[in-house]
Amino acid sequence: MAMEISRRRFARGTAALGGAAFSSALVPSRLAIAQAGERIRFSGYVESQEQLKQTLAVLEAYEASNPGVEIVPEFTNFSSFTDKIATEAAGGNAPDMFSVNVDLLAEYARRSVITPLDRFVPDPLDLSDYLDGTIRAATLDGKLFAIPNDAIAPSVIMKSTSFEEAGIAIPEQMWTWDAMAETAVALTEALGPRFWGLEDAGGNYIPCDVFLRSMGKSMFTPDHQFGFEPADLAEWYAYWQRLREAGGVPPGDVQALSSGGDPSTTGIVAGRAAMYISLTDSYVGVRSLIPDELLLHMLPNGFEGGDLVQHHYIYAGNSTAVWTESKYQDRIIDIIHFMHFVPEGIEIYYRGSGMVPASSAGLDALAASGTDAERHIVEYLRLLQQNPAPPRYPGVTGMSGMLRRANEGVAFGTLTPMQAAEQFVQEAGVRL
Amino acid sequence: MENVEPVPPPRLRELSARLFRAQGREARSRTPFSEQNAIAFLFLAPWLIGFFVLTLGPILASFYLSLTTYDLFNPPEWIGFDNYRKLLFEDARYFQSLKVTFTYVFISVPLKLAFALGVALVLNRGISGLGVYRTVYYLPSLLGGSVAVAIMWRQIFSYDGVINQFLLQFGIDAPSWISNPDYALYTLVALAVWQFGSPTVIFLAGLKQIPQDIYDAASIDGAGRWRLLFNFTLPLLTPIIFFNFVMQLIGSFQAFTPSFIISGGTGGPADSTLFYTLYLYEQGFTNFQMGYASAIAWILVGIIATFTAASFISAKYWVHYGDQG
Repeated sequence: MAMEISRRRFARGTAALGGAAFSSALVPSRLAIAQAGERIRFSGYVESQEQLKQTLAVLEAYEASNPGVEIVPEFTNFSSFTDKIATEAAGGNAPDMFSVNVDLLAEYARRSVITPLDRFVPDPLDLSDYLDGTIRAATLDGKLFAIPNDAIAPSVIMKSTSFEEAGIAIPEQMWTWDAMAETAVALTEALGPRFWGLEDAGGNYIPCDVFLRSMGKSMFTPDHQFGFEPADLAEWYAYWQRLREAGGVPPGDVQALSSGGDPSTTGIVAGRAAMYISLTDSYVGVRSLIPDELLLHMLPNGFEGGDLVQHHYIYAGNSTAVWTESKYQDRIIDIIHFMHFVPEGIEIYYRGSGMVPASSAGLDALAASGTDAERHIVEYLRLLQQNPAPPRYPGVTGMSGMLRRANEGVAFGTLTPMQAAEQFVQEAGVRL
Repeated sequence: MENVEPVPPPRLRELSARLFRAQGREARSRTPFSEQNAIAFLFLAPWLIGFFVLTLGPILASFYLSLTTYDLFNPPEWIGFDNYRKLLFEDARYFQSLKVTFTYVFISVPLKLAFALGVALVLNRGISGLGVYRTVYYLPSLLGGSVAVAIMWRQIFSYDGVINQFLLQFGIDAPSWISNPDYALYTLVALAVWQFGSPTVIFLAGLKQIPQDIYDAASIDGAGRWRLLFNFTLPLLTPIIFFNFVMQLIGSFQAFTPSFIISGGTGGPADSTLFYTLYLYEQGFTNFQMGYASAIAWILVGIIATFTAASFISAKYWVHYGDQG
């Protein structure tokens, strides 16, 4: 019997997240009888060990209830994943199903590596309950190219114990870029040396986009062009340069120790920083590595003397796409169905993984019975939902490296902020 | 007493003459398609197929791709030598990768060889447990491209690493060696030197081949330890030094994993560890510019061929082979 789940039933199937255990034997998949020897490669990226553990567990649970189906997991961190998937796809050997973010989805959809999935919606995949931002993140030119696995948003992860130790109050959620800089410098002065208020996010795409939106611009436009002038981006690099000089963020050589793909290398985990600008999906991973109490806080939403407008978008950081040439497309949809709509699958896939489901029902379920960390993420997302910002638009692959390199150029004194901005525009412009 | 060649008995002489005549006839009658050659080719077939299909084919294909713009997914488009022009006249990062690679090669190869030779000389002094030492010293060469080494190097050279913790005891707030563009490349040189095991094993084998008689004779004539080293050991070892030099030179130009693992694949900070091959990889697999990456690869072939040829030419002046007069 197929377990199609309505919104109400899913909410009840908090089930899922509330701890009701469904035996896999009672939850047969939609494709009850597997074709003999279906071997499906599932490649993806994860943000934490917890997410990896839960993802592997849900795939094993699916295999257990579907004899004859073998799912070969190929998971890694994001930076390793992008090169790997590019090589495999170019060689005509893409995995049957794989993770994409907004940028990868655009890249591979344009090249017809992934197939539109509209024909599977709403039956068997009813996405009517999914947050609008997550659906937009999986859609290109009006076609749905992936199924969103999570809902994420930009955030500042704050170590509240550092604020207490420094005698500085946690700032209001709506604050300015100037206030963040002042807070960072004050924290450094109180807790340094060899400790800084904030980690340098000058090489990070999402905060840069929020910064530009605070200026009435954006990194990219819906028609895949730059949404800013080089002078705007130069102001972004200049902001971090000023903070660096004031001591609010670490010098370039200390910051360069932090690689975006590995939370253990971040300053907040290494005990060098009080604030870390990231995405909500890294919250659980960071929290598992240090004992301190961590808060999710909004990035600044404007500048001193100007209006404060909420610029944080909720979107899917991890969606599942299907290789155009896969022989097992129906089976893949059934696997996704199990992970997203079958209570047993939801329970395993999301519980404790740091991911929050893309559906409203999933968020409700987590709010009701999730862990402290999960409830905190949901609370933060709900705060952002009160005044949703325009969605995130696709950029180009490799742009994180381009932004980081330009920021390092400024940090190490080889580039001026304007030269850094022009370098980024030149490099990313080739890829547009 | 004069040496006299033993004379074979008449029957043997006759047999020998017939055999050599038969071999001469056979050699003359043998063509490339003779049965004997066909058998040889049959046994060589796996290698030949491997070479022509798996090696030569992609080599030629990559040269063709270097003359095209190719994004891995759409068919290549012919652009002639435009990739080479862009590389040599417009791409500042390409020249940065060249600078980094040449610096790495010119510093790491001599240091590594000197260190390896020094260790081999010490091990060659008849110490007990040589096999154990040889194995232990070889281990770093095996671990070179591993994540464990990346973590270990960070633990040693990072801001909070072992070295800085030590310096902090004396009030010295040292920089983060591994992530400072002024020093990062030299931590990779240190990593290369640390992997001295492979040339050490070859040096040791070479040292074992030098006859003890030479040392005994020279010692009787009053040669001291340093004179033995510089006038006998090193000259007799030059073929081995040359071999190690060429192999290390080629390997260092092609170095990829040290930078990839230590910098997390970025070549950072600020491109200070952007090895040539890492830039090639980035262009091909991150930026989807495989035509451009192929052009980068072909220039590297030219660079390595030039330096290898120069090494062989120079060898005439400093490498001493035993069969030379």
